[in-house]
This record gives sequence, structure tokens and C-alpha cells, in this order.
Amino acid sequence: MADIWKQSVVCRYFVNGICREGNNCRYQHVQGARQDPAPSTAAADQNTSPNTGPCRFFKQGSCKFGSRCKFRHSSRDEPAPSTAGASSSHTKTTAPSKMTNFLPENDGKEERPRAEEWVKAPEFVPSCLSAASSSTSESASTSASTSTPLSYAQALNPHGQTSNPASEPLCPYAEASGICKKTDCTYLHGDMCELCGRAALHPHNEEHRKRHTNACVKQHEVNMELSFAIQRSREKSCGVCFETIMEKSSREQRFGILPNCNHCFCLTCIRKWRQAKQFDNKIIRACPECRVASDFVCPSMYWVDTKEEKEKLIVDYKEALSTKDCKYFNKGRGKCPFGNKCFYLHALPDGTKTDVGPPVRHHRYADADIDFLQQMILWDFLDERDNRWMYSIDDLEEIVAFFSDSEDSDWSEYELFFD
Amino acid sequence: MANIAAQRIKREFKEVIKSEEVAKCAIKVELVNDSFTELKGEIAGPPDTPYEGGNFVLEIKVPETYPFNPPKVRFITKIWHPNISSVTGAICLDILKDQWAAAMTLRTVLLSLQALLSAAEPDDPQDAVVAKQYKEQPEMFRQTAKHWTSVYAGGPAKMSDLDDKIRRLTDMGIEEHNARVALSSYNWDLERATEQLFMTVMAKN
Repeated sequence: MADIWKQSVVCRYFVNGICREGNNCRYQHVQGARQDPAPSTAAADQNTSPNTGPCRFFKQGSCKFGSRCKFRHSSRDEPAPSTAGASSSHTKTTAPSKMTNFLPENDGKEERPRAEEWVKAPEFVPSCLSAASSSTSESASTSASTSTPLSYAQALNPHGQTSNPASEPLCPYAEASGICKKTDCTYLHGDMCELCGRAALHPHNEEHRKRHTNACVKQHEVNMELSFAIQRSREKSCGVCFETIMEKSSREQRFGILPNCNHCFCLTCIRKWRQAKQFDNKIIRACPECRVASDFVCPSMYWVDTKEEKEKLIVDYKEALSTKDCKYFNKGRGKCPFGNKCFYLHALPDGTKTDVGPPVRHHRYADADIDFLQQMILWDFLDERDNRWMYSIDDLEEIVAFFSDSEDSDWSEYELFFD
Repeated sequence: MANIAAQRIKREFKEVIKSEEVAKCAIKVELVNDSFTELKGEIAGPPDTPYEGGNFVLEIKVPETYPFNPPKVRFITKIWHPNISSVTGAICLDILKDQWAAAMTLRTVLLSLQALLSAAEPDDPQDAVVAKQYKEQPEMFRQTAKHWTSVYAGGPAKMSDLDDKIRRLTDMGIEEHNARVALSSYNWDLERATEQLFMTVMAKN
């Protein structure tokens, strides 16, 4: 019979534990122990000596049978001499560049690899291409070595960028959470970043590592700054209501920073104090604790300890206000009593900034020599819209609208400002 | 009462109770009612003043707008002082008026009043008669203030000569406090005090 030669070939189903042909199998059942004619029950019996040829799955990266695999898991590439007589024919199937790899050997009954394993399939190498590149050396792909056939990927990407390990992408799961559940993930797993605790450091790309570390350090600094700010704000209590500011309702958890002294108030209280009508302006403009006058109150989420922090806060505050249109100036349609001392933006509709000159001054008491800037506080206006202010109902509606739409911002209210 | 005022008074109350001035018996605050709108303060007369040894009781009324407005404070204990009315106990002290600051507390107010007892401001008087005496006859002022302290604030000094003069007037049917006010106002000149008292009696008739 022509099948005689097959008797010397090891049955690959049998060595994997299942051969439904049983004793009738035309291939060699090496381990002798397997005489089981019922193919479905044959699952165990794997701890027999693994003296067969090298495992081709293992050679390509992973073998799902692990230590239970019948084949030899050896890191060496060359086929070791096997006790099985048919080792030569077996290694023939493992040679990756052979088209025979992809030919079904047994009427399509070959166990199909799981979909996850597809990526590990041997590269498809078109033999015509390799033949062409070797014969026509003047073609574009001369750079490719003619000795080794080009893979499909190499043919598409002759510069070999994908094969550059530095540009290989990191496993997104491992990078994001530090955990990749797939034991056989084919993506690169980065090194652990000590700062963020995620496997986000590219093992081959120095530039990527540096970028990630810098970003992490920066984030860390921001976090530290924030926690320091929270720490130093935690115990601070308002000098007016005496409550710990960070323990107030979230709406009132804001500090009112006076530029000229270092006393601590919550924004609500210091603003209320500065709007008190029953006292001289000199009194209410002064710090309730030390009586040092300040021109405005700077809102802040946290307490500022040092001079630098405070200066930065105030600069930021003014900057933020200077981008908002002044509702009094109203893009040139209105008149801002604060003049060029106003913190808000005085710009015409076309965006050009205008200097409206110094603040308007007027005599409040005709018989007295008190010359002071007209007060312009929103709440003043809302609380006392009697004849104290020179606004019409239209203005009121506008200001109310302004008030409500900017309430959620940190730089919400107009602040009393004196020359 | 506005929430903020009540909350603050509660905190301040604890502050005063814990403060070292209380430990030294220099100041004291007590609740009058449960709403924290009215309190009773007490300050000790400062040493080396005519008020030494006396305890002065104060009425403290907390406005709804506290601490954005000052508490209303007056002396209940009668006192002879240029900045405190000998009749009503009203106090002339800038921080209780236009110089108030929201960061001031019951404690600082009481300590300020104590300081006022040791350093009067005769140029900004509440009681003109007392202020005049303070400026023109300081020794007479000292005696009178000391006498008032002993009579009304439990001070230690016993001044028999002044007591005698008062007794002369009370013997004539004059009420003791009125007699004392008249005598104090006229620098303990019995004749002028008598004259003044009977003038008012006649005027009333």
C-alpha cells in the first residue's frame, strides 16, 4: 500500500491526545499507551515523556498547552534529533517560509487555531515576490536582502518601520491600568512608571520614556501643590464669622484675599464687610483685623501663604477679569465709572481696547470736602436701588443677567475699587 | 436672629470662657437669654486706677447684623468716668461706634472697656460734668471715682468723710444716689450740692 510510509509519521492528533481514528489510524501512534479507540474520551494521559520534536507553537511564541505539551519546548531553533523516526517530516511542517504550512494536511480536519492566535500565524510570504526580487535586482526593493524572502509586511513597508521596536505601540490595557489580562498579549508591555504606577514606559523608545516621565513629574508637582494648598487652607478660619472656611458650605468655601495684609476671611464675609453702609469708607476698606486698607478683594479657592503665591493669584485674577467685557463700558455704549482703573475689559465691538481715562469723580457732599469715587458695587445696587444710584430699570435687568450668568465663575462679581 | 450673628456669639462665648483673662478674673460673659441676643458682661477695675477692686457689670445687646455692626454695650453698674454716663451708663468709645471692625469680639470689646477705665479720654467725653472734674480737679475726680467704685462696684475703699456728707443730705430726706450725684458734681461742696438739690425740688413743685 502507498500508505506504508505513513506508518513512520507520527500522528499529530494522537500526540496531542486525541486521534479519532484510534487503532485504525494510518499514522504512527508513538506512545503506544494510547490504544483507546474512543476518541472523545481521550483527554488526559498527557504526562508521558515529551521526547517528540520541538513544539512549533512554542517556537512561535506561545503554546497553549504549556508544560503539558507533548512536544519539546526548547528555545533552540534548530530541530533537535528526535527519537521519533519521522522527525524530519515533522520539522518540515514547522519551517515558516514554506507554503506547505498553509496547506491542509488532513482533509481540513486540522484543529483550527483560536482567533486570538491568528496574529501569531507565520508570515505569509508570496513565493512569486521573493522569486521576483531575487531575479530582478534593479527593482525598487533592492534594499531588501535578496537572500531572505520578503514578507508581506516588508513588501508593503520596505523601510521596515513597523519592525522598529521603538515605534511599536504599547499595549493600551497595560498602559492605562497597569493590568493586561491577556497572558499572551502580543503588544509591547511597557516598564512600570514609578510616579503613576502604570506600565507606560516604552522599553525601547527613550524619547517616549522621557516624555512620559516629564508629564508624570509635572502632574505630580501639580498634585503636590494642590495638596499643600489644601493642607494650609484646612485650618484657616474667617476673621469675621470665625468659621473654618473649608468646613463651610461648598458655595462659601472661598477665601477673600486682601492684597495689602495677610488676614484670612471668607469671601462672603469680607465682601459683606466692605459693603457695610453705616461706616466710613476708610473703615470698610480696611482689614477688619489690622485696619490696613486694601483696594479690592481677590477671590481664591485656597489660602495663599507666601508673597509669591499671593502675587501670582492677584495677577491671575486681574488677568482673568481683563478678558471679560466690562458691563458698564458695554463695548463702548456705556460709561464705566472706574475708567481706566477698571479691572474688566474696555474694548469696542471690533476688539480694539480703549483707554477711557481716569475714573469719574464727584462730590458726594456739596458742603463737605469729601471727594471720593462713586461706589459701584453690584450688591449695593441690588440691595438699595433707591436714588443712590443713577441707573434705570434697563440697567438693572442687564446687571441682574450678568450677575446670574457669571455666578458660577470664580471671578464673578464686580469688586469695589477705589483710586 | 441672623444665623451668622448667633453662630459667632456662640463661638465667641467659648473663646471668652477659655481666655486667660477669665482665668485672671478680669473679664466675664454670661448669657441672659437663650437666643444669644443679650449677654451680661463683667469687667474688673484695672489696677492702679480708682476703679481697682470693683466689678463692673455691662449690658451687651447683640444686633442681628453682628459682626458687621458693633454690639450695644452700656454699664449697668454706676461708674464715675468721663467717657461713661453717670446717669445711663452709656459709653463713648469709638470702636463701639464708627470705628468698629468685624473682626472684633466680645473679648476685645471688654478688654477695650477695661483699657478705657485706665485711660480716660476727657476730650471726647460722654459725661461733661465728670470730664470737667477730671481735667480741672484730678484729685477730686480720683476720690469720687474711688467712692463710686466702693459703693456700686464693691470696691474696697471706705471714705468716711464723703459718706458723712452724703448722710447729711439723706438726713434731710434726699435719696442717697441723688445726694451722691449732687455732691460728686459739685466737687463734694455740701452747700452747693444742697442748694442745687433743693433748687430742683422747688422747680419740680
